[in-house]
Amino acid sequence: MLSTKTMARNAVPALAAFLLLTTAPYLSYGAAQEAAPEKGAPPKAASKKRIEGTAPKQFGEEYVGSQTCQTCHEDIYNNYRKSAHTFVETDKRGGWAEHGCESCHGPGATHAGSADAKEIRNPAKLKPAETDKVCLGCHLNTAKHSARISSGHAKSAVACTTCHSMHAKGPAGLVQRAPADVNAQCSSCHLSQKAQFAKPSHHKVPENSMTCVDCHNPHGSVRPSMIQSFASNDVGCIKCHGDKRGPFTFEHAPMRQEGCGACHESHGSANPRMLNRAEVRQTCLECHSNIPGVSPQKGGVVPPAFHDLRSPRYANCTVCHQKIHGSYTDRNLLR
Amino acid sequence: MKTRYALFFLPLALFAQDKPAQDAKPAAPPTEATAAAPAAEAPSPVPSSEKWVTGYLEMGYRSQTGIGGSESTYRSIVNLGEGLKLSGTDFTILDPKKRLFERLRIRAYDWGGDPWSTFHIFAEKRGIYKFLGDFRNLTYFNNLTSYADPTLARGIVLNQQSFDTRRRAGSYSLELFNGRLFSPYIMYDRDSSKGRGISVFRTDGNEFPIPELSRDATDLYRAGVHISTRRYHVTLEQGASIFRNDLSTNVTSGGPGNNLNPVLGQQITLSTLQRSTGVRGNGGFSRITGTATPFTWLDIYGHYMYANPHNEVNFQQLATGSFVVLSQALFYTTGQSILTATANLPHKSANFGWDLHPTRRLRATQSWNTDKLNSHASSSSLERLALAATSTLINGNSLLTTNENRLETNVFVEGPRSVTFRAGHRVVWGEAEGLILPAAGLPGAQFSSLRRQVGLGGVTWRPGNRWSVAADAEVGKGGGAWFRTSLYDYQKVRATGNVKLTSTLRLSLDYRTLHNDNPYSGASYRFDLHQEAASINWMPKGDKLDLQASYEHCSYNSSIAYLQPQILVSTLSNYREYCHTISGLVSGNLRSPVKGQSIKVMAGGSAVLTAGSRPTTYYQPTVRVNAPLTKSFGLFAEWRYYGLGESFYLYEAFRTHILTTGVRFTR
Repeated sequence: MLSTKTMARNAVPALAAFLLLTTAPYLSYGAAQEAAPEKGAPPKAASKKRIEGTAPKQFGEEYVGSQTCQTCHEDIYNNYRKSAHTFVETDKRGGWAEHGCESCHGPGATHAGSADAKEIRNPAKLKPAETDKVCLGCHLNTAKHSARISSGHAKSAVACTTCHSMHAKGPAGLVQRAPADVNAQCSSCHLSQKAQFAKPSHHKVPENSMTCVDCHNPHGSVRPSMIQSFASNDVGCIKCHGDKRGPFTFEHAPMRQEGCGACHESHGSANPRMLNRAEVRQTCLECHSNIPGVSPQKGGVVPPAFHDLRSPRYANCTVCHQKIHGSYTDRNLLR
Repeated sequence: MKTRYALFFLPLALFAQDKPAQDAKPAAPPTEATAAAPAAEAPSPVPSSEKWVTGYLEMGYRSQTGIGGSESTYRSIVNLGEGLKLSGTDFTILDPKKRLFERLRIRAYDWGGDPWSTFHIFAEKRGIYKFLGDFRNLTYFNNLTSYADPTLARGIVLNQQSFDTRRRAGSYSLELFNGRLFSPYIMYDRDSSKGRGISVFRTDGNEFPIPELSRDATDLYRAGVHISTRRYHVTLEQGASIFRNDLSTNVTSGGPGNNLNPVLGQQITLSTLQRSTGVRGNGGFSRITGTATPFTWLDIYGHYMYANPHNEVNFQQLATGSFVVLSQALFYTTGQSILTATANLPHKSANFGWDLHPTRRLRATQSWNTDKLNSHASSSSLERLALAATSTLINGNSLLTTNENRLETNVFVEGPRSVTFRAGHRVVWGEAEGLILPAAGLPGAQFSSLRRQVGLGGVTWRPGNRWSVAADAEVGKGGGAWFRTSLYDYQKVRATGNVKLTSTLRLSLDYRTLHNDNPYSGASYRFDLHQEAASINWMPKGDKLDLQASYEHCSYNSSIAYLQPQILVSTLSNYREYCHTISGLVSGNLRSPVKGQSIKVMAGGSAVLTAGSRPTTYYQPTVRVNAPLTKSFGLFAEWRYYGLGESFYLYEAFRTHILTTGVRFTR
């Protein structure tokens, strides 16, 4: 149970959220005034609305259709027709039939007349939030994006087009799929993680038998670090390490409370078994050593070690405590 | 074995096939394919002049110079072997008529006895179905010799916790009517492992390494439906898991064990041991996910997840030899242990959040997460000691409950010149309780609480495609933590930069730091991490020459007080790691006698040098040449070197050269 003091502390951000939510309609009133309705455009009004506000009005208001775009941008058009987005061109329900190009680039009549690149919207060159708005006009309410709001990519303003390429990939799709390409794409920003995988003890990402998205969901996850989930709400590591799932008769609490990262460097380590310490006993003793004065309520409490570590028999804890991830049969995790 | 060879030749057979009729007639007009389709169908998105199958297949023979140094470490880290290999194949088939599929993509890598083999298939017919299959066959070999090997002094290099297992993981999903209002799906996952290893039989006064056979499998079945409209989305999912795990040991002589010295005047020996553990489990799980856009300025989302895995355990052990119960100075020759247990783990998670974007320049998000699990088990065990004529029946209970909550609010303000500022606050709180009864001399119950207030801030500047800068910072203040090494009072900063210096040269920078401090007396935990990385990509001659290079420096400094168990004196456990990681790849295209083709040469690799608590060097250079002989056929050769060096644990070092030559088919 939470104390009254804690609840009061937690109530502050909640109250702020409430205030924001309740005042938002008034703020949005101004925004609604800014977005003037477009005139005489062929796509459905509802479809237009999804991208309105993302394009300054100097781009014009008249639509010309994808066939007109094809005249000058044939390579791009052909790639687009081979991509997963091609269905937009024929999807009458979506409202952009025959106007697939303009579903992202906005009205094209002005640009078609002048052939000036400045007179058409290029989502790849917009501000990240505006780029996302174009994409999320169609992709917002889908299973893939259900945790997007809390994802690190969204917080760091990484736009959809950073990873997804709308024209270039052709039949391969809109995003890299081959493991080597996926890993190269992620590591182009995540340089430190790439370096960790070069260490001797690592998950087989450089070997391309795994990809970053096996463990992380780039669109967001309810878990920290955008970690994938398995079987509803188990940590994604369990997908390949099923024997560590339990439930065990005797649990090792860090497995449940801190996850695998409590002891392992999940990307890679110079230490054996991807441990975060050079020796097993260091990993264990840093917790299993009750020092007088440490408040159990604030620093945790665990059974202390009492073996003579000068003897090699006891210097490597997992020689005896074999079932370190949890045991079905022994309270001391011995078998 | 037959299956393995079939896998080799199946992709070859696909490549060898003639093109379909409409593609085999180059003179046919481009509209022929679409004319054959029903009138109602949309025109084919694939012009008939396009290749209907594209991709490559690469296979060859790998040879090795032999392993210098520790073969066990080599197998634990690299484990590449010799022989005929399917290095990789990746091809996409487009069906212009969309008969069974619009797009089929198959990938397979590293087959032929390699330690990590993967197969992936994707097929889609938009609006009808989407099928995804993924299979991996992984070798988990781990026999890292240990500095603390109790038998090392006797010249026996034996890790008493080692494995030689093969893990197979498959994941298959079929989604129907994808992209429609209702889209049901079914999924099946299977993760299994089978193999052997070295475990330990421990008794008072001695430990004996013993062989152990292990086998486990998890089957996961899921079914659900996505309901999607423009304004909201709901996913309902129901699943079930079946789990089994068997461990067995049968030893007829245990050897001298780790302790050669007599205990209370008597040598502790193991004559025979029979041990078996059987675990059978199942469980259901449910998931509801929803997102909605009730207004153009508000997005909301939420998840609710519930799982309840359940396991039943049966354990039997019969050991003969010369044993002792130290606490009672009681000698016996035969010990029997029986245990049955049941364990349950109801686990509830939920989150809810919203994204408010009232104006173009202002955005606010808030998310709340809660995670509650309650692992509880009951067991009955019987210990019977012959000669000592004692038997003990223990009925026990164990419990681990945790309740963790996280509430985070962020406000984003878009300033002038493409600058976005972020400020936020996170509060994390929770309670945990662990309990094992009967207490048996150790603390029976453990409690801990988690309290953390975190201030968040960030700035992103992306003025254009040429460069971008982003920085994030977290400052946390703890009031309680699960463990001593958990985050408590901490500061975390991450800064990244990307700049396109010229049209051919791009530079990326990445900096991270984390400082964590546990101020409570006695523990004195301090942790410092710094990582600085830089990467360049230079393409001075377009596709003809490409240079990628990256460098990372890291420094870990950790110290924490602990009691030396044997003398109960407080001392510091220090961990230091300073690493330099360099990786690079130069690839160039040379002129080839085959028209339109070029000889590709790639050279690069990585080098890791660490200093500190475990000084290590690890080199992985590689050179590869692809030489085309015709437009769709070529040869390749690849050299790799793996070299591990250890300053303290010299017997763990290894080095080897690997050469692979083979053929490559391309379409």
